[in-house]
Amino acid sequence: MKKLVLPFLVILFFVSESIVVDLWPKNGFYEKYIFVPRFLLIAIVFVTVYVTRFYGIVYGFVFGLLYDVFYTEILGVYMFIFVLIAYLTSKAMRVFHNNVLVTSFLSIVAVSVVEFYVYGIYLLIGKTDMPFEIFLYDRLFPTIFLNTIFVIFVSYPLKQQLIKLPIREREDEDYLL
Amino acid sequence: MPQFFLNKRLIVLLVSIIFLVALIGFSLKERQNLTWPEQFIKDTAGFVQFIFHKPAQFVAGFFENVNDIKHTYKENKILKARLEEYAVLEAQVQELEKENARLREFLDKKESLRDFEPIQATVVGRNPDRWQELVIVNKGKRHGVTKDMAVITPSRALVGKVQHVSPFTATIQLLSASDQKNRISAFVQGEENAFGLIEGYDEKRKALLLRRIPFDAKIKEKQKVLTSGLGGVFPKGLVIGEVLEVEPDEYGLTQMAYVKPYANFYDIDDVIIAKRKIDDPKEEGE
Repeated sequence: MKKLVLPFLVILFFVSESIVVDLWPKNGFYEKYIFVPRFLLIAIVFVTVYVTRFYGIVYGFVFGLLYDVFYTEILGVYMFIFVLIAYLTSKAMRVFHNNVLVTSFLSIVAVSVVEFYVYGIYLLIGKTDMPFEIFLYDRLFPTIFLNTIFVIFVSYPLKQQLIKLPIREREDEDYLL
Repeated sequence: MPQFFLNKRLIVLLVSIIFLVALIGFSLKERQNLTWPEQFIKDTAGFVQFIFHKPAQFVAGFFENVNDIKHTYKENKILKARLEEYAVLEAQVQELEKENARLREFLDKKESLRDFEPIQATVVGRNPDRWQELVIVNKGKRHGVTKDMAVITPSRALVGKVQHVSPFTATIQLLSASDQKNRISAFVQGEENAFGLIEGYDEKRKALLLRRIPFDAKIKEKQKVLTSGLGGVFPKGLVIGEVLEVEPDEYGLTQMAYVKPYANFYDIDDVIIAKRKIDDPKEEGE
């Protein structure tokens, strides 16, 4: 039963993004500013730090693929960046102290990196023609704001949940990459 | 140089970038259908989404109701004032409908482009990264949905069209997507109907672009825009919106109108997929 806790948690984060967007009060504010929930990405950063890098990469791959197929229908975009973020997070954690605040900060950095990356790709393939300035003020800043609030509320309980998980091979998995 | 190739990480990165580009290229090409693994993932994920989404929608709906009650008094006043107007209109419509049916019988013309079979569907997911406005609903191929069908709100205003279907879910592209390929044949209702194509969406003005209207067509503001049913699988006569402004098109050969859509693209919970009856092979055989 305990083995199902982690997948269930991540699925919850995956589903919550769509629910948040759907149930957000739809007024002029919603139309002007684009708040993008990146809860799944935050979860993947936390899994990488508090479970293992291997789990982070695998979850990044699987849920990135799910995200691509189910939500955006452009394959590969999120799959690639989620795996890359998991890998870079694990590299970064060697430099920083292992602390909830540091992890939270890293996840916010990851959110902005993903926003820039997706914006770049969509500009490249012509799915958007949003000017950079509008992207910055109407999209990036509200997104960071929303996700920061989310991280403040979720980081500590999420960390506690993840540390409790019975996963044996913590720390000794440097054979991969 | 050999060191460069021995660097495992670099090779992995390069291979995955090639893979990424290939996948993006694959998904961007004009696809009629999704591949079966995609359809399978969509159905499974759609089911999970449905389980979580229903209760959430229910709770949110409750709070919305509470909010609505606060405005009830004011709205009631306005609506009462318009009730009389409505009754007159209703009587007229009934009369006309009856007459239309009778005339149709005379002509022995039973089917029309207007008739459609409504397929009720509930939104189970929404694209959280709001680059493309995509909505996923819980009806699919098994329920008779096919690609390019019109999608309307319960109050009969057009919101989008079906982009892809899998057996149990369908992805709907909203009209607000800035996609040039998203063309809809439409006309402006007036003394003489002016036909054009809905092509794209102006993000700043929050208006659809109705292009390729003949240059001599006289269009005024506030005129209604409806689907013409000529472009393929859309039924005729679904309301889209009303004209905001008319201006000459790029080369001056045609006119272009900004159309303010009636449907709210953001606030969608339930939709109706319009399956045109005239395309049904059963009826053609009769």
